[in-house]
Amino acid sequence: MARKARTSASPKPAGRKSATRKTAAAEAPAGLPPAKRGGTGRIYTSPPVKVDFATPGHRANRIDLELDGLYHGEASFEGRVFLNNTRANAGTPRTMDKGYAGSFYVFGHGGCLGDPGHCEVRDHDREFHDYRSGHMLTPRKTRINVTTTLQAIARETTEVTVTIVPVITAANELCDQRNVLRFEGMRFISYNP
Amino acid sequence: MANDIRIRQGVHNLNAASVAAFRTAYQRMMAINDNRGYAWFAGLHGTPNFWCWHHQRSSHFRNRVMELFLPWHRAYLYNFEMAMRDQVPGVTLPWWDWTLRPPRQDGIPGIFSAPQADGKANPLFSFRMNVPTANPPLRRSTQRDPGPTDELPTQADVDDVMGNNADFSSFTDALEGLLHDRVHGWVSGDMGIVAVAAYDPIFWSHHCMVDRLWAIWQVRNGNGNLPSDMLDVVLAPFTFKVRDVLNINTLGYDYGAAETIIPIGAR
Repeated sequence: MARKARTSASPKPAGRKSATRKTAAAEAPAGLPPAKRGGTGRIYTSPPVKVDFATPGHRANRIDLELDGLYHGEASFEGRVFLNNTRANAGTPRTMDKGYAGSFYVFGHGGCLGDPGHCEVRDHDREFHDYRSGHMLTPRKTRINVTTTLQAIARETTEVTVTIVPVITAANELCDQRNVLRFEGMRFISYNP
Repeated sequence: MANDIRIRQGVHNLNAASVAAFRTAYQRMMAINDNRGYAWFAGLHGTPNFWCWHHQRSSHFRNRVMELFLPWHRAYLYNFEMAMRDQVPGVTLPWWDWTLRPPRQDGIPGIFSAPQADGKANPLFSFRMNVPTANPPLRRSTQRDPGPTDELPTQADVDDVMGNNADFSSFTDALEGLLHDRVHGWVSGDMGIVAVAAYDPIFWSHHCMVDRLWAIWQVRNGNGNLPSDMLDVVLAPFTFKVRDVLNINTLGYDYGAAETIIPIGAR
């Protein structure tokens, strides 16, 4: 009833004008611009580690590099893994002679589109009887099969450094692109036949 | 006919009638603002509802880390496809084979990359997001920023994931991390961001390919050593448990490359 009364009381032209303004406002793009590709985050290089397990005598048939506690709340990126090439960057060819051992990929959350606190992972202080699912930004683990490159290097030397070059594939203005690569641990795991 | 298994076909094999039905289903869903509509389904994955499962995280028991990426997205696609079929009976969700190369396909398939179709805006090209509760709010059309075609996964990459991971845990990690995440980043733009990816119309066919690879892997490996305590986990907000989505034929669909209906009757 009230809606009808307001409509009939409003002169038609003014009503049309305000509807037009409202439509134009609703049509105008607003908020967060789309993500774009490009750029490189901070490159990580590990201290040298012994890799005797990769020498021919150990008969490993598969060696994985595992990253643990990998954060995925920011931009999407390709993590390019180079062994014994501390100067690797986004322009380094992904070939074995440059130490390239493989890539892992992160599909990033894209920064926080919620209200303050939405993207804070607080699994460490959950109540004992909290049966809800874990936070969606719980850090993940990932593995890259580095067998071929590592075994080739291990024929020459038994020490290896790991360099990871994060090449950004999608980042919006909420993302901290420089610190896109964050992880808590890293290890080689080898397997025998 | 009512009990027939529906066939999800490759995008590259769709005939004109199938493309038209697919477009119409999206167009109609995009015009609906309630819980039958496109925006509602897209908003379940990321903003504003954030139900999606990726990688490892604890389930309802906090000390048990589970990998529900594949079952959750299978339940998600099932519900989306049924909503499509409510709008256009008989339509199925097609899968995007990102391993194809020119001349068969060059990156984003043509039915998704053309801004216009039949003189109108192509509903497979873009969708206008409107999420006033996001922070900052979103009110614009989805966009893509694809990379070079040769950066998409190859058949050799797929074979490596399918052939070298016989247990469920390593398979789901490899499929998600090495193929699924890679393609999201390759499409880039909104598809490259978890919070908004499902608003891009190509999202569903990308995930259909991921689900297809899981289905093929299941034919070869069964369910691997899928942990038994995962079976009764509910794939919220859907009503399925993990055990309910392990057999795609039970869900009423299968994967083919193409489907051609042969008319029966007098010539």
